[in-house]
Amino acid sequence: QDPTAAHYMFQDDPFLMPRNAANSRLYSLSKESGKNAAKYIIKNFPQYFDKTLADPNVPCLMPETFTPQTEGVSEEALKERIHLRRVKESVDLFDQLVQAGTPLSLETTNSLLDLLCFCGDEESTSEKEEESKEDLEEPGVNASEQKAPRRQFQRGLQSSGPRWRENNHAERIFKIMPERNAHSYCTMIRGMVKHGAASKAYDMYIDLLNERHKADVHTFNALIRAVPYLKERFIERWELVKDFLTHMTQQEVQPNLLTFNAILKTLRRCGVVGRSMALLVIKEMEALDIEPSLATYDHLLSIFYRGIDLPRSGIVSEVLDEVEKRSFTPQDPDDANFFSTAMQVCCDLKDVKLAYRLNNAMEVGDNWKFLDVDRLNGYWSKFFSLLCMMEQIEFVLKWYKEMSFSFFYPTPKNILDLLQALDAASQLEVIPSVWDDVKQLGFTRRHEVLEEFLSLMSRDQHPEEIQLAFAKCAEDIRAAHEPAGREQVPLEWTGSALGSVVVLFSRAGRTQDAWNMMEHFQKTNRIPTEKVMDEFLNCAKQTNCPEEAIKLVKLAASLGLPSSQRLKSRTEEEFELSETQK
Amino acid sequence: GHSVGDGDHGKRDGHWGRGGTMGCGCDPLTPVPQTRAARVRVGKGDKPVTYEQAHPPHYIGHRKGWLSLHTGNLCGEAGAAERAVEDSFLRRFLFGTFPGLLQDEVVLKRRGNLLVVCALLGRALPPHKIYFLVGYTETLLSHFYKCPMRLELQTVPSRVVYKYL
Repeated sequence: QDPTAAHYMFQDDPFLMPRNAANSRLYSLSKESGKNAAKYIIKNFPQYFDKTLADPNVPCLMPETFTPQTEGVSEEALKERIHLRRVKESVDLFDQLVQAGTPLSLETTNSLLDLLCFCGDEESTSEKEEESKEDLEEPGVNASEQKAPRRQFQRGLQSSGPRWRENNHAERIFKIMPERNAHSYCTMIRGMVKHGAASKAYDMYIDLLNERHKADVHTFNALIRAVPYLKERFIERWELVKDFLTHMTQQEVQPNLLTFNAILKTLRRCGVVGRSMALLVIKEMEALDIEPSLATYDHLLSIFYRGIDLPRSGIVSEVLDEVEKRSFTPQDPDDANFFSTAMQVCCDLKDVKLAYRLNNAMEVGDNWKFLDVDRLNGYWSKFFSLLCMMEQIEFVLKWYKEMSFSFFYPTPKNILDLLQALDAASQLEVIPSVWDDVKQLGFTRRHEVLEEFLSLMSRDQHPEEIQLAFAKCAEDIRAAHEPAGREQVPLEWTGSALGSVVVLFSRAGRTQDAWNMMEHFQKTNRIPTEKVMDEFLNCAKQTNCPEEAIKLVKLAASLGLPSSQRLKSRTEEEFELSETQK
Repeated sequence: GHSVGDGDHGKRDGHWGRGGTMGCGCDPLTPVPQTRAARVRVGKGDKPVTYEQAHPPHYIGHRKGWLSLHTGNLCGEAGAAERAVEDSFLRRFLFGTFPGLLQDEVVLKRRGNLLVVCALLGRALPPHKIYFLVGYTETLLSHFYKCPMRLELQTVPSRVVYKYL
């Protein structure tokens, strides 16, 4: 990995390289939206793109036909529209066929139900812009679901797409179907779970049992996932999961990997019961010879390492043992969360060795592909914070130089952690180079970062060159507080920040700059501390500017500070003043 | 407007040519098209000119490189005319898609199936807008020519002037 290069999707040019995480995300999204714009044009004007043929022909670059070819009201036309995922047209065509009395095969009706349950009774996004707004006004929660204690769970489901409306097309079509088979019930159950109607799904399942049908493994997986929304108490949830599993064995349905992942996902919501049952579930998986996926391990870590009292680190080392051995393929949408969760666990346990092992596991085979650009940034950011806390300063700096700006972009928290690590190792001379990075990252307007820099720099006296470098940083910080451009609100000075800047200028012998800052005190109605004024006097003495010292005494007197008398006497003693000045 | 840089070169006749056999042929002093192609005439000294523009086409291969690299002109290879048409389309397309941003002629490189377009852009647009245009161009041209297409950009703060003519 080249430490000076950004991700390969960006152009290799200093103007076009992203400088911080926000820019990185913005540029990758802009590039993606450019691609979408091109795809829109290709989709809507295919006639311009199908004439040129290359040799060898690349079929995936030819435009696809999205308009249905069969016209008229017939079952064939309906099948084609279902295949092209045109929800509204399929439903209209279906209604026309039913009114005309044409008999439709069960298979076609089932595939229409599949489409409706998958899309949640709304069009897929590309059609949405063309539809009028009334079709899409989904107020949200179904009336029967809206009980107050359930509210927090519903919010979790709302992110997964449109909500299930009362008596929507799917339910209506289901009711008017002359005959239904197991597939119809199953697809309705899965659709209801997907779109947040968990109790309806349960009722539908009871209907299925009453009709003496058998559900398939996907339906059971959906029902198990819906258990936290059906029962409140932990033990009831586990009992319901066990009921479903018993039914599975009765109906001779084999569980698969997703079944066990669904059980573990539900156990995450079962607190103490979850912790006691989780390992038994894993043993059951091994007994059935099902290989766990990363989602399995992700759920395991979340079950055991949640909350304040963290148990022994045995579980996470065992998990890492398993993960290090092989390269995983994506089998469950939740696989992608594993590495972030695992790194969070390492940070909570404050164990650097585990983190190194996790990094090695990530480099095995294809495992790195599970981290997309956003997750990658979060992962490395947490890793770096852990390093700053636990590792020696040479390693921290080495990782910082290698990783920053190529693997990840430091967050403000990372910068603060780095400063603390430098402070602990007494290597404050590195601070000016860190400040350059902060300027590049664009954090110069963040209060906590500026305060930390200033307080660290001004705390102790340092040798000459370092003091000069610090004064340069102070100048940058002062410039950052000036109003720049018509849009930016100027940053407010705080008392400690002003004081630190004065101290830094004074120690570097920049009397005039220091005096300018002292005037700011009056402008912003803040009081300088004793230490600040003493430093200023020292500076004035070294650079031999008695006028400045007198100005300071006048300032102190005008502000009514108790130390003004002491300052006056000190000035008289240390400076050679002419008669007028006295 | 800019013309395609591959002028003819290797003629030993010098600038005036044989008025009898080429061009209009009536007057030996009439300038022939070969003497006007891709040359910027010397003016008062206030016209900025890039390196590419400053050198007439007989310097191609000596002081200039080629603006379009493909194998169509080699012995026994076909498709030179198609490549020329594609080149001219690509140059117009890029000139329009990156409005006012192109600082110099675009260089087109064909490696096997892959088409690499190397462009020199100015910094008038913010980077996220440039990335939008990059994604758009790559996808659209890939679908249009049915071959993978890649854009390699370099930005300069202002047009790089070689001399003033």
